[in-house]
Amino acid sequence: MKVSVKWLNSYVKVDDIDVHELADRITNAGIEVEGIEPLTVATSVVSGEVIECAPHPDSDHLHVCKVDVGSEVLDIVCGAPNCRKGIKVLVALVGAQLKDGTIKASTIRGCASNGMLCSLLELGIEKNMLPLGSKSDTGIEELPLDTVNGNAHILDDLGLVDWILDVSPTPNRADCNAMWNFAKEVGAILNRDVTIPWIDGYANQGGPTKLRIYSTTANCPHFLGKIVNHVQLGPSPKWMSEQLHAAGVKSINNVVDISNYVMLETGQPLHFYDLRTNPDQEITVVDDYQGPYTALDGITYDLVKGDLVITSGGKAAGIAGVMGGDNTKIENDTTSILIEAALFDHAAIRHTSNRLGLQTEAASRFAKGLDPLAQRKAMDRAVELLVKYANGSDMEATVEYGNDQYTPNVVVETMEHLNGLLGTHIALESAVDVLKRLDFDPKVDGTTITCTIPSYRSDDVKLAADIDEEVIRMIGYDDLTNTLPLCENSFGSLNASQKQRRMIRSYMTNHGLNEIISFTLVDDYGSTHGALPLGPRIAVASPLSEEHKYVRNSLMSSLLSTVAYNHAHFIKDVNLYEVSSVYGDHPLDQPLVYPMHYTDPNPWDQQERLGIVLSGLLETNPLVHHSLKTDYYVMKGLIEGLLEQLGYDGKRIKLVENTIDTDHFHPYQSVTIQLNGQTIGIFGRVHPAMEAHYDIQDIYYGEIDLDALVNGHPNGIKVKTINKYPSTSRDLSIVVKEDVKAADLCASAKSAGGKLVSSVNVFDVYTGQHVEKGYKSVSLSIVYESFDHTLKDDEINPIQDKIVDTLVCVYHAVQR
Amino acid sequence: MDTIETVKQQGLSAIEQANDLDALNQVRITYLGKKGPVQDLMKIMKDLSAEEKPKFGAAVNDCKKALAAAIEAKQATLKDAALNVKLESEKIDLTLDGYHPHNGSVNPIQLIIEALEDCFVGLGYTIAEGPEVELDYWNFERANIPHDHPARDMQDTFFIDVNRLLRSHTTSIQMRVLDEYSADLPVKLLCPGKVYRRDSDATHSHQFTQCEGLVVGKNITLADLKGTLQFMVDAIFGKGRTIRFRPSYFPFTEPSVEVDMTCHNCNGKGCALCKGTGWIEILGSGMVHPHVFEMAGIDPNIYSGFAFGVGIERLAMLKYGINDIRDFYTNDLRFLEAFKRFN
Repeated sequence: MKVSVKWLNSYVKVDDIDVHELADRITNAGIEVEGIEPLTVATSVVSGEVIECAPHPDSDHLHVCKVDVGSEVLDIVCGAPNCRKGIKVLVALVGAQLKDGTIKASTIRGCASNGMLCSLLELGIEKNMLPLGSKSDTGIEELPLDTVNGNAHILDDLGLVDWILDVSPTPNRADCNAMWNFAKEVGAILNRDVTIPWIDGYANQGGPTKLRIYSTTANCPHFLGKIVNHVQLGPSPKWMSEQLHAAGVKSINNVVDISNYVMLETGQPLHFYDLRTNPDQEITVVDDYQGPYTALDGITYDLVKGDLVITSGGKAAGIAGVMGGDNTKIENDTTSILIEAALFDHAAIRHTSNRLGLQTEAASRFAKGLDPLAQRKAMDRAVELLVKYANGSDMEATVEYGNDQYTPNVVVETMEHLNGLLGTHIALESAVDVLKRLDFDPKVDGTTITCTIPSYRSDDVKLAADIDEEVIRMIGYDDLTNTLPLCENSFGSLNASQKQRRMIRSYMTNHGLNEIISFTLVDDYGSTHGALPLGPRIAVASPLSEEHKYVRNSLMSSLLSTVAYNHAHFIKDVNLYEVSSVYGDHPLDQPLVYPMHYTDPNPWDQQERLGIVLSGLLETNPLVHHSLKTDYYVMKGLIEGLLEQLGYDGKRIKLVENTIDTDHFHPYQSVTIQLNGQTIGIFGRVHPAMEAHYDIQDIYYGEIDLDALVNGHPNGIKVKTINKYPSTSRDLSIVVKEDVKAADLCASAKSAGGKLVSSVNVFDVYTGQHVEKGYKSVSLSIVYESFDHTLKDDEINPIQDKIVDTLVCVYHAVQR
Repeated sequence: MDTIETVKQQGLSAIEQANDLDALNQVRITYLGKKGPVQDLMKIMKDLSAEEKPKFGAAVNDCKKALAAAIEAKQATLKDAALNVKLESEKIDLTLDGYHPHNGSVNPIQLIIEALEDCFVGLGYTIAEGPEVELDYWNFERANIPHDHPARDMQDTFFIDVNRLLRSHTTSIQMRVLDEYSADLPVKLLCPGKVYRRDSDATHSHQFTQCEGLVVGKNITLADLKGTLQFMVDAIFGKGRTIRFRPSYFPFTEPSVEVDMTCHNCNGKGCALCKGTGWIEILGSGMVHPHVFEMAGIDPNIYSGFAFGVGIERLAMLKYGINDIRDFYTNDLRFLEAFKRFN
């Protein structure tokens, strides 16, 4: 809300406090002042009179003027079309600050010019805020002809010297969007008296009326209506149009201005109808009106069920709480008006306002909530101003539908509880002082304080804790001490999942991968092209963009698109990982039952995943001939190494040829990871079709279910006895068909070798020269070991022969 | 006797002249071998008288020892020299690049989360997490933000349907764990996680990270909150910062406060970072609202508690001097690799 300090000063004295200090004190008490701006930036502007005005000899539009500024007569060149002899003008003297700079003495095409004649725009007034009748939009401003020349306070007299505070109250303090309530708050902060010009009951006067008011909806629980006759439209009083101007509201005429002015004062949006448009003198608020309706802005809106509509004789007369109707508006010849001061449900108003895209001041105020007494206050004040400034008379009695349903909140707090919650030693007298300043009417009994809360604070102050907040925010937090909670000692620790995440992070970092955190919301492609998608994708109802529309059910698209981004920026070696939950839709069979318990099932599936992507080189050390090009085997080793560190060695984990997803993975360079017969992951080369979508090549990707690893009972550390007897290693090179798998050879060799063979590994695979096409040479390293003696050759030889025989027999291997 | 001395001098001279180990070995064979001059001297001995024999024998032995010692000394010298030659031949260019095992980097968001976790685990807190797809019930209802509460405007939320949404704050975790621990108090929790709001510019990302803390027990005070937050600021930004409270509003706390820290850039003197105020806003917090307790089945007359919530990206931006929140989510390697260091 824009607050004019001058206006504020009319309720509570603030003009003796520096405006920045004032703003600080208000902010520190919890009502944030976001900005402080002068109404006009202009300095050294005086009133003057054009006493001579001749065309410039060297220009077809400039005037050469002599301007009387009281103390002297200045030569000034002016280009405004309305510049002429005899008018009273605003003169910026040499050295004056205007919106666009400083005025200097100069010579314009040979004629001296010592100052400038101004329009209000040059003083920093916005074009849409120019007063009625102003010439400033096309020329210089013309002042009334009785203006005294040389008045140095002319801007002040025109109401243009003021400070504007941009006040941004938190949602619980919507009351501060009304000047009267804001003034009460400032009075409490400064500990100063506040005078509110509310004449309680002023509107109660009035003669007989035919007016009838109804509501058929609970969303309009209270409606005050009143007819005021013999109203005379005309300009507003100067003070009112100036204050409205300062608050950013354009002055129209006295009647319209009064409705706006009272809204700013009380927070209550008012609406005035031309009584001629309501011959039945009947108003019914409904929420089941349907059809097109043209509002004050001239736009026709389609109203639907649920919108609150003011009707008269069954016809729409206004969109309640949002905007009045074109057919019932005040005209220049209006004489009788019907005043509406009503309460409309904040949710209903917000709904209609959002649906129609019609964000009006009235709608915003209803949506934020009103003082329950605001209708009464506003009616009293509006009638008073209409009588004083629009010659309103022949008033009819106020008609009330419903009531304001208001009883003041009474809140009880003890000093023990207050100091106990805050950890303070605030004295009873200090607390009572604050509560008095806030008009909470504190009654003290021992250390117990009973407060009666003013109507405009009734939404916010209901509980003892609310009283505590009021007390400490006004006293200030500066004396609050620093202590730590004194409660039972507890053992802080990470759970298994959190620990596992840290292990993964440490492993990945040590192996050269960078951790990314990417967006949960992905696009259509990403949500339909993933590794082991957890379930059907979940869509958000109103996404910011198509790129971020679906909750990801796999991490694959996030990592691949990050690779694509980096490749597009000429970063080629991109090796990344991400740890994140993914989600899948999983509607429940049963409806949700409230209140809920934390153990209730959720209507979605969730799983923590690790995604890994490799591309380019993992290590680059050309000088030492040690660069590591990523491929299937690098990915495999990385994942197996990780699984081993997490407690899952090769005996527990099975890698199985991938047959379940050959759309996103290379059908011959990918495997699934199995734990206890369940698929818990997949990795391998990315399918060229998917690479093509992201415009990337040679990408290896893996994704693993981390929850399965946490819950899969990982092995702990086991120490084996060191063998006292040396082991012996024998190498064996064989040629087999190319499709024979290394793992099968090793397993067969080990099984044929029996218990003295402790391990069989492949240390070389060769195809090419000297090996027939379709065949490969495989070199095995077989380690023999016994725990009770040193093995001798004549023990090993028969075993080695048996292994060879087996490989020859099973795989038609040929020993080299 | 002269003969012995001559042999000795000739031998020493030959040793002196030997330039390498082979030559020296040849000298050893020549002089100390079975057919060498020293052995020849022994042959003379049999012709000597009984008195002369011991004298002569001792002198020959001395000669033998002297030559052997000289050979050994020369051998050591030659070995040294040979080693030096070998070493010199192994000279390399020490300025060429070393072998760099490629270090990865931890995400800056994660660095801050881990720092907070470590700080609060040390204070006996448990780390609690919860779902990012969340029910309106836990995100809003239980946080004292019923339908059509004006505070819902503060958080433009990604709704999925009438019941489900993407959580708009980690308060939803607090509400779940409060329910879980309602019969098992006191409790001290830290709740980090991703949150989502329909908002996007240089200071807002539609996804960001929060970390909330919650302590519930008997006699927990606002002063305890301040002490705890001071502890946290010390842990993240180093000692020497002070914090201050300003009144604020959150539906789930009462009283509610915004927390400022003395600017770590200028030590509170005022600079561009703190817009000249000397203070930097770092988080929001307050005492748990009695309604929140009641909904969790906790008696607010017996228990009290505090809660705080901090934006992780904001802390990271302050700590590492990052200007645009979107940098966290672009995942440009040139950005990520800055976080290779341990500190």
